[in-house]
Amino acid sequence: MKTRRAVVAACLLVTSLLLAACGGGSGDSGGPVTLTFQSLSDQPAAIAQTQKIVGDWNKAHPDVQVKIVPAGWDGVYDKLVTQFNAGSAPDIVHYEAAGIAPFASDGYLADLTPYLSGQKRADIPKGVLDSVTVDGKVVAVPTELQSYVVFANKTQLQQAGVAIPTGATMTWDQLRQIAKATTKDGKYGLGWGLSSPTAAFVALAPAFGGKYFQGTGDNASLSVGQGEMALPQLVNSMAYQDKSILPVTLTQSGTKALAPFYAGQTAMTVQGSYQAVNIEKDAPKGFDWIVLPPLAGPSGPEQAANPQTLSVNKDSAHVKEAAQFVDFFTDTENLAAMNEADALIPPTTSARQALTAKLGSKNGWGTILASGQYLTSAPYLFAGKYAQWKDTVATPAYQRFLAQQVDANGLKSQLEDGWKSVSK
Amino acid sequence: MRLLLRPAQYAALALYILFLGFPLLWLISASVKSSGELNSLSASLLPHEWHWENYAEAFTKQGLLHSAWNSLVVALASTALSVLIAVPAAYVLARLRGKVRVAGVGWILVSQVFPVVLIILPLFLILRTLGLADNLVGLTLVHTTYMLPFALWMLQGYVAAIPVELEEAGAMDGASRLTVLRTIVFPLLAPGVVATAMFSFVSSWNEFFFALVLLQSPENYTLPITLNMFVGGEGKVALGPLAAGAVLAAIPSIVFFSILRRKLTSGLMAGAVKG
Repeated sequence: MKTRRAVVAACLLVTSLLLAACGGGSGDSGGPVTLTFQSLSDQPAAIAQTQKIVGDWNKAHPDVQVKIVPAGWDGVYDKLVTQFNAGSAPDIVHYEAAGIAPFASDGYLADLTPYLSGQKRADIPKGVLDSVTVDGKVVAVPTELQSYVVFANKTQLQQAGVAIPTGATMTWDQLRQIAKATTKDGKYGLGWGLSSPTAAFVALAPAFGGKYFQGTGDNASLSVGQGEMALPQLVNSMAYQDKSILPVTLTQSGTKALAPFYAGQTAMTVQGSYQAVNIEKDAPKGFDWIVLPPLAGPSGPEQAANPQTLSVNKDSAHVKEAAQFVDFFTDTENLAAMNEADALIPPTTSARQALTAKLGSKNGWGTILASGQYLTSAPYLFAGKYAQWKDTVATPAYQRFLAQQVDANGLKSQLEDGWKSVSK
Repeated sequence: MRLLLRPAQYAALALYILFLGFPLLWLISASVKSSGELNSLSASLLPHEWHWENYAEAFTKQGLLHSAWNSLVVALASTALSVLIAVPAAYVLARLRGKVRVAGVGWILVSQVFPVVLIILPLFLILRTLGLADNLVGLTLVHTTYMLPFALWMLQGYVAAIPVELEEAGAMDGASRLTVLRTIVFPLLAPGVVATAMFSFVSSWNEFFFALVLLQSPENYTLPITLNMFVGGEGKVALGPLAAGAVLAAIPSIVFFSILRRKLTSGLMAGAVKG
């Protein structure tokens, strides 16, 4: 009897759940156009700012309403692959330039060139605009950028008698000298979270003349020469000859490498510029920190840009309206507010100037924003198998090199042979 | 010597419990630490100051409770469906002899071979055609389909362990087939059903990839998807709120286990007496 009652109860439960769930979902028929905007904003302030911009748009455009669909960064590539292949991608897609290039090559993204005013185009530095241009078409509008900067403990630098660099840029040699000078009494000059080193090495290579890739898509080729090898070798020399890099940080994430910086165990740390906000929030009281000038190599202070972007689904029923929303989202005022909320660098010159005027040099903002002018195009964005090469070949190879399991020649051949293997 | 043995056993047990419980303790501790303390080198089990903002943020900023409700609905429904389908199917599979059984067992094993990324696109297309993509019903069906082979595999082992002679004895006493199933087989099978339900519930509760791809609307998000929101781009992680969310996410599983654990034991007893 008990069993029968249990079976009946289970059946009722399942039926009621199915019916309840069937009642969910919404469809829009008639009325205003509704655009879906898959947003990856993750910081509370950035989420609020995104909602504000969308709210402003919705108020001003009663006939074209935008609905935010929040999503997380983790796994979003797989989600987009499925959505695009199944024809159910959102109208407006938030992602990074490195991620959208393959979708653009496969024809899933609308050409925004006709919707991009000459003024907006001129406002975006060429190198950054190049990072969202595929086959001559602008397939996305950049919204936020980050650069790699050096955060320093001012007190430790002063105690070591170091002249703190104040110019428009500083050289990698200067960084090496400061790191050496501040390595004493069991403390290290530099902490650098290089557990996933490829992104940093590839982004910073332009300063040494390194490009890594030539060509696009399946025709991209990789060559690892002096320009590409210079930075890994410099890090290796600092870690093992100078012994000025805290060894454990080489195996940690960037965020983890902040803890020894706060504790005075390292005098400097190389981080993404957005960490300025976290340092301001998490550093112990009285911790006197500064952002050192942008790093320059023999070829200049350029870094490869991989901006966050907004693009439009080519299969959207309302491409024009979606492009207009993207244009609205990326106007000067909105970009400045969005990047302030996310502690990132606006990709347009006007928004960068607006933010500089508003924030001045507070919390290193002045130096960080200035570093934005050195961001340039990144050939790796357009190499078809870059993501696979990065994860399966380059990262383990660099880790072996930084652990001194292979020498420079071994690293070079592993990177090149690995590329040949993944791009077959 | 024997006097010392019992305290040693208890000490070993206590150490084992501490070893198992330490990650949970650390998680709870992290959930009430400030961001500064979480990013400090001087790690301590107990927080220097208790910060409850992480829980407030987890609740208010990401809609954790609504996602937890969605997860609970999907996990309970898919567990009920899996068990309802698996019990009779497992009985047939265990008692059947011949080619059909071999084919059935083969199907179970083969179905475990395909990686989920391979099946997600056709699955998505089918569900969209049925109007069940971005829908908790669709996700429930997917979870049930995904869990069913393993549930079947587990249960058919339990059925096979029940001596067929018990059923024959019941039949000899004049009991009908249904009576034999209800009074002899089901009580003995109860621990297996409970274990399968536990497995199904936890699998569905923690499932991430299908939910990530199939669910589009925030109001349908399950808990793993919402917790994933605490991990940002460029390696940014809101560690405190994530820990708070993870603590909350662990509670329903613990409650479900503590309820079913008793059933697991009583089921075994019932089987022993009847046997």
